[in-house]
Amino acid sequence: MIDSGKNKNSKIQRKHKRCQAILSRDANVECVSHPTKFIAICNAGLSTGLQKETILEEALKYGRVIDIVMLPNKSYCFINCYNEDDAKNIFDNMHGHAKLGQNETIIYLSYIKEIPEAPNQYNQDLPEGLIIINDFVSADEERILLEAIRMSEEPLENNLLKHRRVKHFGYEFLYGINNVDPEKPLEENIPVECDALWKRLEDKVPDRLALVPDQLTVNIYEPGQGIPPHVDTHSAFLDPIYSLSLESDIVMEFRRSNNNHVPVVLPRRSLLIMSGESRYAWTHGITPRHMDVIPSKEGGGLTIHHRTRRTSFTFRKLRRNRCDCAYPELCDTYAAEQKSNEDKLASVAAKLEEENVHKVYDEIANHFSETRYKPWPKVENFIKSFECGSVVMDVGCGNGKYLSVNPNIIEIGCDRSEGLLQVCSQRKCHVFQCNCLNLPFRDNSVNGCISIAVIHHLATEARRLQAIAEMARVLVSNGRCLIYVWAKNQEFNCEKSSYLHRNRNNRMQNTKSVSNENTQSLSSKSELVDLPVHMNRTQFQEQDVFVPWKLKSSGPKSIETTTEDGGVKKEFLRYYHVFEEGELAQLCARIESIEVECAYYDQGNWCVIFRKK
Amino acid sequence: MKLITYNFLTSKCIRGVKVGYPLKLKIVQKEVVQTDFNPEFITRLLPRLDYPTVHMAAELVDCAEGVPKELGENYAADQDLLQKLHHILLEIDIIEGQLECPETGRIFPITQGIPNMLLNEDEV
Repeated sequence: MIDSGKNKNSKIQRKHKRCQAILSRDANVECVSHPTKFIAICNAGLSTGLQKETILEEALKYGRVIDIVMLPNKSYCFINCYNEDDAKNIFDNMHGHAKLGQNETIIYLSYIKEIPEAPNQYNQDLPEGLIIINDFVSADEERILLEAIRMSEEPLENNLLKHRRVKHFGYEFLYGINNVDPEKPLEENIPVECDALWKRLEDKVPDRLALVPDQLTVNIYEPGQGIPPHVDTHSAFLDPIYSLSLESDIVMEFRRSNNNHVPVVLPRRSLLIMSGESRYAWTHGITPRHMDVIPSKEGGGLTIHHRTRRTSFTFRKLRRNRCDCAYPELCDTYAAEQKSNEDKLASVAAKLEEENVHKVYDEIANHFSETRYKPWPKVENFIKSFECGSVVMDVGCGNGKYLSVNPNIIEIGCDRSEGLLQVCSQRKCHVFQCNCLNLPFRDNSVNGCISIAVIHHLATEARRLQAIAEMARVLVSNGRCLIYVWAKNQEFNCEKSSYLHRNRNNRMQNTKSVSNENTQSLSSKSELVDLPVHMNRTQFQEQDVFVPWKLKSSGPKSIETTTEDGGVKKEFLRYYHVFEEGELAQLCARIESIEVECAYYDQGNWCVIFRKK
Repeated sequence: MKLITYNFLTSKCIRGVKVGYPLKLKIVQKEVVQTDFNPEFITRLLPRLDYPTVHMAAELVDCAEGVPKELGENYAADQDLLQKLHHILLEIDIIEGQLECPETGRIFPITQGIPNMLLNEDEV
């Protein structure tokens, strides 16, 4: 018996030691033998399924806690105690006893010198536009409102969603399409008991935040229930949206993209106003669980709140129109219009390239050529890297500025524009005319390919992919290809591209970001498709755009404007698809016969070098 | 169009065409231009070309004398041959003429020295 006890003890010690070693190695946390107010739980954390509220509930039995620090994907976590006495009591009662880990394993604790820095989630700023008005309704009003919705008269199965009960007034929210039908109002309007709220709201918030809603959704959450993160459909409802919390406090989680997570406590009888960014760009949701970790009311630190039933009144006003918000990432109107633009582009792609790429380059060939004489150094280096006797093809060679960079190789150029090819021909370069979607070259025949500022003129992803696949086809095994396309972001790594630098306004204020105002007018001047016209020398706002080329001479197919000095300027619109970061490399990755060797950003372009297997 | 370019061109992109090579070359007008001869360059370039088509082109421009039907192993040591091949591939410029797909008969015109290999959308 004594022996086995000893064994057990030494086993615990061994395990404990191992965990401490991981802590010091992984988190750079120093374990100490004397009590401090900081405790590490060495063998349980987010990665073992431990939840903050579970650990807090246990620790609070023995002492006061300021914060629980849990790091993503870690099998340990930390307790920041109120003082050393609290820590000592927690340690003595939990170390080697409490069963909190996965499968109820016994947890091991250590005192540590310091807790690695992690922001207290409740110390963050609220999402922009989020307002909470505490005690918006009195306890009496709460009771009256709950009676007004007559939820108890409803048969349960009528309004039981998967995770909560719900009832609509004014208009039904249709979960299948995430929208309302403005043509089909419900018989039951928002209860008159709510009317007093809107006058009250007017007195408390600026006018633009005081709407009189025409739609109400009531949700009833039992403990353990929640609602997945979502944004209220932009096109369905106006800004702002109101949510009245009744019967229980709750924590609502706000998230924006992957990195921003702000838990917000919604106290019982408070009114939440989601406006602006918080209404359009953040999702909100309620995690299904029985308790929430919340800031404690006295003495700072955290405490556990056991949920009871919560009833929320979400008041909204129908938009009855497209959404025109400035937050495209979660906007259904924006997504639908993007999709319809893409479909439209696909249907006119060949025609668009003909009218707004090929014809334009033929018109501006000479002027264009005069402005394109200096090779980019990295492209030049790539061409010079081929050994003597190599054959390199320049797909979209333009005026041929890269065709005579390396005298030890044969460079053969091709382009769609006859005008530009004539410039090349005068320079005694090897050229022929073709479309980059169909290269009239033998399979496996050339040692290298370059395609500089070409495939951003193709109007669909399928066509851009085909152009890359064609280059892959004509390369010999181990042959290499360099592609440059214009980047949507002209300020990568906080450096403006030379394209932006050539804008006089930008030169004056090098460090300031380029203003988004007035950079785009929404006139397309094309009969084929509505695309924004890009303002030269500014950041791109969209991926598919028309970029003007201004020519100071006459010619057909252009827009005439009179310049300040009285001369006549012609403006041609070139179609561009400017690339997002990673987009070009991802396209290349879809072609099995090639391997991307490197991808980089160079002077406002995304660039890829790939090798044929 | 120099004959080096001709060596690579095909009509394979036409729908239904299997090989599309070599294209039939018809010359209306040609010019001879002088370029610097670099024997190492020609030596290294030759293995990358389709040699039977080089020979066929040589016959077409009446320069096949002394150019073998097949490239021997020691061609690199044959300065005369390298010089001739340099001339054929890089110094004869086809100014006007046409290329013809061997399978469909589709004509690709050569004007002002530039072959027009464009295909209509309905041909690909």
